Amino acid sequence: MLKTIRNYFVLKNDPDEMRRREIVRILTLGLSILAMVGFVLVATYLLSNPVARQKLDNQLAVATAFFTSLLSFGIYQLNKRTSRISPFLLLALLVVLSIFGDTPAELANGRSLFIFTFPVAISSLIIAPASSFFFATVNTIIIFLLARQGNVPPNLSAIVGFFLLALISWVSSRALERALRDLRAINANLDQQVIERTQALSQSLERERIEAGRNKAILNSIGDGVIVFDKTWNATMVNPAVKSMLDIPLDLILNKNFYEFIEHPRLTAQSRKLLSAMIQNDTQPLGFRIEWGEKTLSVGAAQVHDSRGENIGTVTVFRDFTREAEVERLKSTFVAIVSHELRTPLNSILGYAEMFKESVYGPMTDKQINMAEGIMKNTDRLLNLIRDLLDEAQMEAGQLSITNAPLKPAELLETLHRLLDKAASDKRLRLTSEIDDDLPETLSGDADRLQQILTNLANNAIKFTDHGEICVRLRRTDDAKWGIEVEDTGRGIPEAEIPFIFETFRQVEGSTTRVHGGVGLGLAIVKQLVNLMSGDVKVESRVGVGTKFTVTLPLTVP
Amino acid sequence: MSELALIIEDDEDLANIFSEALRSGGFEVEHIADGRLAQERLKNGNAPFIVLLDMHLPYISGADLLAIIKGDEKFSKTMILITTADALMGKMYNDQVDFVLVKPISFVQLRDLTRRLKSQP
Repeated sequence: MLKTIRNYFVLKNDPDEMRRREIVRILTLGLSILAMVGFVLVATYLLSNPVARQKLDNQLAVATAFFTSLLSFGIYQLNKRTSRISPFLLLALLVVLSIFGDTPAELANGRSLFIFTFPVAISSLIIAPASSFFFATVNTIIIFLLARQGNVPPNLSAIVGFFLLALISWVSSRALERALRDLRAINANLDQQVIERTQALSQSLERERIEAGRNKAILNSIGDGVIVFDKTWNATMVNPAVKSMLDIPLDLILNKNFYEFIEHPRLTAQSRKLLSAMIQNDTQPLGFRIEWGEKTLSVGAAQVHDSRGENIGTVTVFRDFTREAEVERLKSTFVAIVSHELRTPLNSILGYAEMFKESVYGPMTDKQINMAEGIMKNTDRLLNLIRDLLDEAQMEAGQLSITNAPLKPAELLETLHRLLDKAASDKRLRLTSEIDDDLPETLSGDADRLQQILTNLANNAIKFTDHGEICVRLRRTDDAKWGIEVEDTGRGIPEAEIPFIFETFRQVEGSTTRVHGGVGLGLAIVKQLVNLMSGDVKVESRVGVGTKFTVTLPLTVP
Repeated sequence: MSELALIIEDDEDLANIFSEALRSGGFEVEHIADGRLAQERLKNGNAPFIVLLDMHLPYISGADLLAIIKGDEKFSKTMILITTADALMGKMYNDQVDFVLVKPISFVQLRDLTRRLKSQP
């Protein structure tokens, strides 16, 4: 392509030369016609006037006119083939005509002096700007020769005039040539730009065509149903997967308004409501699920914006979620049943053990009481595990929600001590707690879930601390935040493990699970609960020194 | 004189434990293990001092029985305690009953709670 452009711009003929040739063409043709007309007029006159016919001057005039016409035409023809010598020949003809145009005296210093201006003026146009000086010089020599022949003094002021004319011709021709050269450069540049733009446009059209083809191939081959809507929710594109997913002809959707589709009887009322909300919602809608007959479909939608950020339509993606929805339903049913069925007998074991411990049916020995406590402690562990698994399952399914009710932070600490004091003292650890004076006495929040966060963190600290203390602080961080700090003097967490400690079923080093109990859900649940509360949890730890967990939560008072 | 506590709980072991806790709390205990029988008893029998109602019962749900209790004037002075394994469900009934006990329920806590309730003027 580039080669073509170059070829286009490298002209075979010099444009200046073409221009000169054109001038020569006009001049020679003009001169030829003029001379021929002159010849015909003079010849007719002479034929009708025998006296005049006898004069030599007249005979010479008719012959000169005839040959001038002939020679001019000859140069005209030559000029068609080459412009190398035609300008010189034309000028030579003009000079010769000048010499023989009048008497030497009139030519050197009389009425015909002016005809010498023609070669000077024309030469700078048809040969080169500076050639006018050459012809001014030639004229000067001829005038001197003619003056001698005619015995008259040469007209010096005319000679000066010729050189002045040569100067003016040179300057103006040169300026003209330069201006033309500049113009040509500008034109060439413009042409180049046009070609480049045209090329870029055709390339981008080609790219777009390829892109469109590729997009179409993708849309035709994917399993997800894709419907593209314009700004007014008319469906402008529907891929084949929609047809198989919805089991309806595509023309029920394509080029129709989405409001018509929403009225389809296979949609449940709730699904209709969700889809209407999607249409009315100006903000980017999140994914949601709809029921289509027996099927569950997940719907995702994203607005399409043009380069100025204006909404030009929406792309919606439908995925058959029937199987996943069924699995999810079974899973949550399973978890609910299992947790209920496990909790009920465990509650009984716990209750009976307590009755032993409380000597409900008669006095017990210390050893028997110890055993009852052992049963209680282990039952507690199982109950906590079940609670964690249930919570995790609920959070995964997005079913766990956070409630807001007035709560007293001091009560959270009281409950914490009641639950964990014994576990701490069994390991000879001190469990201490502090509460900031400027923390409001009553906050708004989910007391059960906050208790769970506090208990999980403290329980974790007890588990991984062999001596020293665990300090739990409730802090007022700033005007808008409060937080929980749980700091221990335990073994600490290796730095490389810190990024993973909030992952589900994760404990630092595989072996610790057996030594410390639990399945590694405690911190994962803390993290997820804190996220649900729009808070943040951080950990700082040094191996052999201790660990500090800091939970920051938005502060709201009822 | 001992007051009557009505326990509606289908799990035999839990019913035993709750009965013992309430007895230790100073109550005379009546136990019903079945939703339908409980419905009969609530409609026809006298109002107890305490009802300890399990929300997960066969045949007739705890919610239906609670509606009967709440709808009957004779139970206006009866203390209502419900038991459930579902903390969320428990929260839903918080405003309608005197106490929501989420399983696992401790023998000692139930005993101490009912003891306190009995000694209240």
